[in-house]
Amino acid sequence: MSLRLSDIRRCFQGVIPSMIATADSRGLPNIIYVSQVYFVDDRHVALSCQFFTKTRRNLDENPVACAEVMDPVTLQAYRLRLKFLRSERSGPLFDTMSLRIDAIASHTGMAGVFRLIAADVFEVTCAEPVAGFLTEAPADMPEGASLDGMRTEMRGLQWVSERINRATGLESLLCGVLEALEEYFNFSHTAILLHDEANRRLTTIASRGYGESGVGAEVGIGEGLIGTVARERRLLRLTSLEADLRYGRAIRREAADGKRALQAEIPLPGLPDAQSVLAIPLTIGDRLVGVIAAEDRDPMRFSEWHEAYLDILANQIALGIDRMMERCDENADSAPTEAQAQTSAISPLSAGPAEDRRVRRLTYYRNDDAIFVDDEYLIRNIPARILWKVLGESTRTGRTEFSNRELRVDASLGLPPVKDNLESRLILLRQRLQEKCPDLQIVSTGRGRFALRAGATVEMTER
Amino acid sequence: MWVVLLDRMDPTRLRRCLEPGLSILVGTADSAGTPSCCRGIAIQSMDEFETITVFLPVATSHDTIHNVATTKQLAVVATHPRDNFATQFKGTTLDARLAREDESAFVRQRLDALADVLDRIGVPRRLTHRVAHWPAFALTMRVEQVFDQTPGPKAGSRVR
Repeated sequence: MSLRLSDIRRCFQGVIPSMIATADSRGLPNIIYVSQVYFVDDRHVALSCQFFTKTRRNLDENPVACAEVMDPVTLQAYRLRLKFLRSERSGPLFDTMSLRIDAIASHTGMAGVFRLIAADVFEVTCAEPVAGFLTEAPADMPEGASLDGMRTEMRGLQWVSERINRATGLESLLCGVLEALEEYFNFSHTAILLHDEANRRLTTIASRGYGESGVGAEVGIGEGLIGTVARERRLLRLTSLEADLRYGRAIRREAADGKRALQAEIPLPGLPDAQSVLAIPLTIGDRLVGVIAAEDRDPMRFSEWHEAYLDILANQIALGIDRMMERCDENADSAPTEAQAQTSAISPLSAGPAEDRRVRRLTYYRNDDAIFVDDEYLIRNIPARILWKVLGESTRTGRTEFSNRELRVDASLGLPPVKDNLESRLILLRQRLQEKCPDLQIVSTGRGRFALRAGATVEMTER
Repeated sequence: MWVVLLDRMDPTRLRRCLEPGLSILVGTADSAGTPSCCRGIAIQSMDEFETITVFLPVATSHDTIHNVATTKQLAVVATHPRDNFATQFKGTTLDARLAREDESAFVRQRLDALADVLDRIGVPRRLTHRVAHWPAFALTMRVEQVFDQTPGPKAGSRVR
């Protein structure tokens, strides 16, 4: 073999579809596009078997093939001579290939219809550039894992660790992590979603690069790209997302003639024109803490290097989040902190001359378990119940300071008895208020404590 | 049987195979049944797809020309990159020749159209224009079978 496959790894990212030619036992050729040829190691590749019935039959009769892959940066083509070895229907390779397909299928409303049947493994007997394919020699392009990258790797690890250790609360930890990802990896569109075990959903708790959108958005386990990553607890890197979605949509159109009802396509979170996505599960053992998602308009933005490295970082982040959530529950009844002392002068809801104060109308719709502010959706479920409780309490008694502990013992809020994610629910509530009703604030006054600050007159209605 | 197959043929399918902006793949096999592939630049048919002529860059089609010289069997896939609508033609090679100078403008125009389409889906035009396209071979094949090759459960089903 004249080339090592690892020297042409960009060709295996699925940015440009590849082709594979086979022939039956009589030598009649067949040629098809494949969305991706998967790199296995320097001597092996794999193809996803989904609908390739003729190709599969040919390989059973005549186990040789020829594939052509292209470098998406230079457009140089490489020809691979292949010998079919086996079909894998389970195992690590199958799981890795299946995750990508499941995520695209779920995202395009094709879950269960469009799926991996088998990972077909080939030995590469020869790999060589297609001579004369380009009219001029491709320019040398920097690899993703450049020396700069290696330097960033060490510094980035150190930086994220520092941010996690320095964080005084869950919110500052989440912000610090996203900031570090932008500063050291130029990931400018990121989000962290935390897992709520009670309702099997992920809720966006922090985001960067999306303006005010994103926080509070939910996705079910198994739904779309992020939900699939959460379900499988496996990292997913999609390059040339648009090509994958076009492929998925083509299948969807073709399958639409069938009797099976297709689900609605789930809109991509964040960038409407994202070309690449990296979604990393945050886990501790088998327990899912959440998912970090990054996306970009550059189809080649996330490399294999990011994948391996961020997997390590994700472990640290998951531990940091978990530790912080535990810590937030401690010392709930301890002496007031400095922060608490500073906020002890918070105005009660009714304070201040009425004529100077804006009026915000908050309506709690009991059937929907949701609060609207001035007819605009604010929040729902447990965070909505928390807000309604503290607002009601404040209106009745004038009290503006509350503790996590009193929320936990209030059965009407419906917090799960263990792993209640109370701190993250309060962060979500705080951020939604900041975006939709900045006159009303939930201010942290120390671990396990918070205060309600109102810069407007609040009118509460329950329906 | 032939009539039944013709009835199943979507008339727009063949028309779309003559549109500009197609990505074209060509598959062959040698006398031992070892397959080979290369990319085509343009496709045309003057006789309602009784025959098609596919244009291949001379620089990259040595194996293909060698194979059709011995086996004559050819598979050609025409795909619209934007929606993956694809059709595969299979048949016997009737003629293999160097493309004429008066065909170079057509071949160039098809490459330009493909570059435009690919540019819209993220492959810069300047890259596609670096792909060798001339001189070219022109392979004319008798179309014996046509298959729907659009990804999905019907991929590979015969339509003619």
